[in-house]
Order: sequence, then structure tokens, then C-alpha cells
Amino acid sequence: MTQKTTAPKARGIRQTMSDLHIWAGLLAGWLLYAMFLTGTTAYFRDEISQWMRPELPAQHQVPDAGATAQRVVDTLQQEAPSSPQWSFTLPDARNNVVSAFWRIPNIQGRRGFQSAIFDPASGEKLHARDTNGGDFFYRFHFNFYYIPVLWGRWLAGLCAMFMLVAIISGVITHKKIFIDFFTFRWGKGQRSWLDAHNMLSVFGLPFHLMITYSGLVTLMLLYMPWGGDAAFKTPAQRQAALAQMSAFRQPARPTGESAPLASIADIVREGQQHWGPDGVGQVIIANPGDAAARVTLVQNRAERVSISPHTMVFDGVTGKLDSVRDSASAAAETRGVLYGLHLGNFADVVTRWLYFLVSLAGTAMVGTGLVLWTVKRRAKLPDPQRPHFGFRLVERLNITAIGGLSIAMTVFLWANRLLPVDAAHRAAGEIDIFFIAWGASLLHAVLRPAKRAWVEQLWCAAALLALTPVLNALTTSRPLWKSIAQGDWVFAGLELTLLALAAAHAWLAIRTMRHKPKPARKPARRAQPGAEGHAQEQVTA
Amino acid sequence: MNSILTTARHVGPLVSRIVAAVLGGYALAALASVAAVALPLGKPDAVMTGMLASFLVYALAVVWVFAARSAWRAWVGLAVAAIPLLAAAAAVWTGAAA
Amino acid sequence: MKHIVIFCLSALGFLCLALAMQRHQEDLFGKELARKPTLLLRMAGWAALLAALAAAVETMGLSLGLVSYSGHLSAGAAVVALSLVARERLAGRAR
Repeated sequence: MTQKTTAPKARGIRQTMSDLHIWAGLLAGWLLYAMFLTGTTAYFRDEISQWMRPELPAQHQVPDAGATAQRVVDTLQQEAPSSPQWSFTLPDARNNVVSAFWRIPNIQGRRGFQSAIFDPASGEKLHARDTNGGDFFYRFHFNFYYIPVLWGRWLAGLCAMFMLVAIISGVITHKKIFIDFFTFRWGKGQRSWLDAHNMLSVFGLPFHLMITYSGLVTLMLLYMPWGGDAAFKTPAQRQAALAQMSAFRQPARPTGESAPLASIADIVREGQQHWGPDGVGQVIIANPGDAAARVTLVQNRAERVSISPHTMVFDGVTGKLDSVRDSASAAAETRGVLYGLHLGNFADVVTRWLYFLVSLAGTAMVGTGLVLWTVKRRAKLPDPQRPHFGFRLVERLNITAIGGLSIAMTVFLWANRLLPVDAAHRAAGEIDIFFIAWGASLLHAVLRPAKRAWVEQLWCAAALLALTPVLNALTTSRPLWKSIAQGDWVFAGLELTLLALAAAHAWLAIRTMRHKPKPARKPARRAQPGAEGHAQEQVTA
Repeated sequence: MNSILTTARHVGPLVSRIVAAVLGGYALAALASVAAVALPLGKPDAVMTGMLASFLVYALAVVWVFAARSAWRAWVGLAVAAIPLLAAAAAVWTGAAA
Repeated sequence: MKHIVIFCLSALGFLCLALAMQRHQEDLFGKELARKPTLLLRMAGWAALLAALAAAVETMGLSLGLVSYSGHLSAGAAVVALSLVARERLAGRAR
């Protein structure tokens, strides 16, 4: 592309889209990186939770659903007899605990709920260390932390919109998307980073597009309530619409007349006859102990892609089946499929690993984009030893967002093993330690020269990751070699993955140590035709 | 005084576009989600369709705002897109839509 | 088993498509191939990708199949690309 010296030409669409892509990517990049990495690990959140509760033995067989449900109900009858609504999930192949929550009578809103984790074998509250497990990463992914949940979700949604715009502008600007499909030029500085960023983006394009759009869909009721506000004039109309999307209903008014609850075990078994032995995912009981009691079974999400609720509703006193819902309207099913694709609950082991790997590639896509910004700008700095404030800011934030997050997430696992098992508020403590580690990384990134900070943090992450199995062997009775010998692939798989991630961080640290920045390109140089021209096109600001 | 005007002339269009993209885009998407209620589907389905499609409208609006040749054209484009949506949404708001 | 088949077909498909490109032909064969072998490679590539799709949908149903297929496409493309890169690096070192 030659520069005309006549009147300034209108900038082409690829140029404006390139600018839009760079700005959208940069402004949201640090948060997006965190969302991507925590989201990636969330695909294995059940496994991480299991690892973080080592007191619970490995689950080699899913316990009987009916018996488990009855035990939990018996406990809830002691624990929360006057609650208008109980709800709990049943253990499955990946999840070895029961998650329950129940409404507190006469208190509305978010404070009107209590929750607990139950042991499926005894039906009682779990006697394992208090921890959020993998759910911390999952919830951080769309709520962040320390800020009101609503703000976190709006922030996440804003970042997701930036991501969507970045994807669309990225595709428009990358005109040689098919010609360059397998291109990677090694050791060529800025061009290598661009090639890496392009490859990670293009290979995972269906996923990245799907995950971004579906992410917005999961919270669409929050982001776009206007249609519903305009269309539904009465609460009943609104409830009817929400019923398409969620199995939860407001419990009906109790009659006040007490009646014993029907056998939940029998109800669950009837559900298994309809949906299969692993088919019952969740049990919701409204007005237990009252004549108006109703029991709703919700199908296990591992059975289908869509998460639109398939339910069976029973009379809570007689145990008789009232209604079955096994389908949803077209729009509800579309939403259900998009939502389900985002969560990936349906995925079998191989598909789940593919989700993880492609999502990790997406994380690296965001990371390489952030680094590419500094690599590109460094080449243009008038004085590379004294970059301007904006450059320094981006550079330090990059180190913190990328290196710091790996460190913080690993420190979270370390806190789980090192905090005393019966310490008060240890679940919150693990999370506070996560943020302290991340804060330390920021401080380190600001105080050290940039390249040293990168290398030191990458090595720190590599060391922490590699030593986690050692820590586990020292603090629990489930060392890695034993897990492998016993076929406990939840524990073994997690620790082996940590070792692989340690190797990846070490490789990055070594490459960064060896890196010598390319000499600055003379700004007056004209682009050469061919490969250079292509890069110049992509890169001109 | 002169330099303030010069800066404003350089930065003004960009700021205008950013406002058009972030706020105008959202407004257009929200409008589209209300207009969708006028679709000949059951109310719940129409509402859901509006929500599902709104993000695409938002993203395309943002791309348009920056692709347009001037900030002025960016706003005009948004306004032009808004007209039919406004008509449908008005019908929904006054309760006339099915 | 089904996953292995889908992945291998996907990787094979991308390999054929890559080999049908001028740039990679020059890298691997030292010269650009004639029109006919190039066309055959391209057709074989698309055929393998379609076969992978058929295998996925056949063994896992439409929705699960499409999702799994999409994942295997990404993985297959990545493996082929990284192999080409690795090969280029090794060849570069040998010179």
C-alpha cells in the first residue's frame, strides 16, 4: 500500500476495522483474558471441586438416585421444615456431592435463600473442608468478585459485546483468512505474534463466535428486558414466559393443612423410568409437609444440548404424576441450545476436552493480542528505553493479567491445601488469598523492569503449578502415583494437567528470556509486495 | 481558545462515533427487541426472539458506526435503521400488536 | 473410537487442503504441483471433511454430532498447522 501525498484518502474498511479491532480488543482485553481463562477451567469445575475436597473418596459409582434423594429430603425436613421450597441436584458421573438450596420463609429476594452441600451417602451436611471449589472460577467468570453481582454481570456483558465487535471486525480486516490459513512465520517478532494470534483466532472461530454470543444470551433477561416489559402486562403473563426458560416456579400458596410428603425415592424412580437411570438431575419440592405440596423433577442436563427444562411434576402428597413437559417452543429451544452450548454440560469426556482445548486457545488468542499490541508499539517508540505512559501501562497490565492470573489461580489451589481444615471462613479465605496473590503480581509488575517481570512471573507460575502435586502428596493421602494406580482419573487428570501447564509456562519463560527485540523498522520504509505487503496492511496504524 | 477548537475538531467526530456506537447501538438493539414483540409468534416467543437477536443488532450497529465515512453518516444510518423499528415498537407499546 | 475416526478424517482433510496450496507444495515438494494432482488433493480434502461430519452425526445424533464435529475441526486444523510449522523449523535447522 503506497502512501499518496495528495489529499488524504478515505481510509479503507479494512483499515477502520483494524483500528476498531485493536481498540475493542485492548480496552476489554485484560478482563476478557480473565473471563476466558476462568471460563476455560470452569469446564472442569466439578473435577476441580472434587480435588478441593480430598476428604471425599473418589466416586467410582454414582449412588442410587432415589435413595440419595430420600436421604436428602429427610435431612431437609430437620434442617428447614418450614421452608416453602427446597431444591437440590443429584450426584452424577462428574459431581460427587448434592448441592441444595432452600427458601427462608418470609424473606424475599436474594437474601431469602440458604444453601448447603450434602453428602449423598448420608444425606447430611458434608464433612469436608469448606471451600467453593471450582465454582469460584465459574462464578468469577461472569460475576467477578467483591462487587455487587449485578455490576459484575453488566461488566461481563460489556466485555462480551467488545469481544463480539472484535471478532466481527477481526474477520473483516483479515482479508487473506483462507490463503493464510496455515501460515506461521517463526522467529519474526511482530509477524510471528500476528500469525499466532491469527491462527488461534481462525482455528477456533466457530467456538469463539458461539461462546461470545451465547454468553450474552445466558444473561439476556438482564441486558434486554425491554421487550418483556412491553409485552407482559401482568405477573401471570411474565411467569408463563419464564416457565419456558426455567423449571423454577413461585410455590403456590400453601393450604395450611399439613400432610406428609410422599416417598421421594419412588418419585425419583418414576423419573428414572421416563428419562433413564442417569436422567434425573434435580429435585424441587414446593410446600413440603403441606397438602399443596408439589414435587418437580428436572432432567439431567448431561442428556441433551439444550438446557430448556424438561420436567415431571408430581402431587407431593399422593406421589401421583401430574404433568410432563418434554419439549419447548422454538424460541425457547433456540435459547436453550445456545445456553447449553455455552455451558457444555452435555459434553462427554472427549468433547469436554475439546471444549477445554479450544477455549484455552481462545484465552491464548486474547493473550497474544494483548502482547502483540506492545510488540507493535515498541517498534514505533521514539526512545525504546523510555516509553510513554500508555505503553508502560499496557505492558504492566499485560503482565498482571496474564502472568498474574496463572499465579493467582494456582495459589488458590495451594490455599485450599494449606489453610487449616476447620478454619473459620476458609472458603472466603481461599478467595481472598487468590486476590492477594494477584495484587502481589501487579505490584511486582510495576516495580520490576518489564522483561524481568514477565520472566519471573512465568517461572513463578511454572514452579507453583509443577509443585502442586507435591503439595498434594504432602498434605493429603492421595498422592499422584496412588491416584494413577487406583484409576482415580479426576485427581490424576487434574494434577497431570497442572504439570503440562507448568511445562507450557516454563517454555514461555525460556523463550521470553532468550528474546531479543527486533530492531525498530524505519518509519519511512515503503512496503514490499508479497508477504511484507500483507503484514504491512495488517499492521499499519 | 483556538487550540481548544482545533482539538475539538479532531476529537469531536471520534467521540461522536463512540457515543453512537456504545449508546446509540444499545438503543437500537433495545428498540429492535421491542419491535420483535410485533412478530406473529406467541408473546413469549416473540419476546425471546427479540432478546436473542438484539446482540447481533448491537454488534452490527457498532461496526456500521465505525465503517461509515463520517460521524454524521454514522448517526444518520442509525436513525434510518431506527425508523421501521420505531414504527413496530410504537404498535407494541400502544398494545395494538398481536 | 468414534472420536478417533472423526478426528483423523478431519486432520486428513485439512492436510489434503494444505497440500493443495501453492505455498505448502513449494515447502514440501520443492515445486508447485500440476493442476490435476492439486485438484484431486482439494477434492480429497473436502471429501474427508464431509466424511468426518457424516461420521459425527451418524454416531452422535445431529446436535451432539455438530458440536463434536466443530471441536474436531479446530483440533484437526491445529494439528496440521503445527505439524507444518514444526516441519519447516526442522528443515530450516537442517540446512
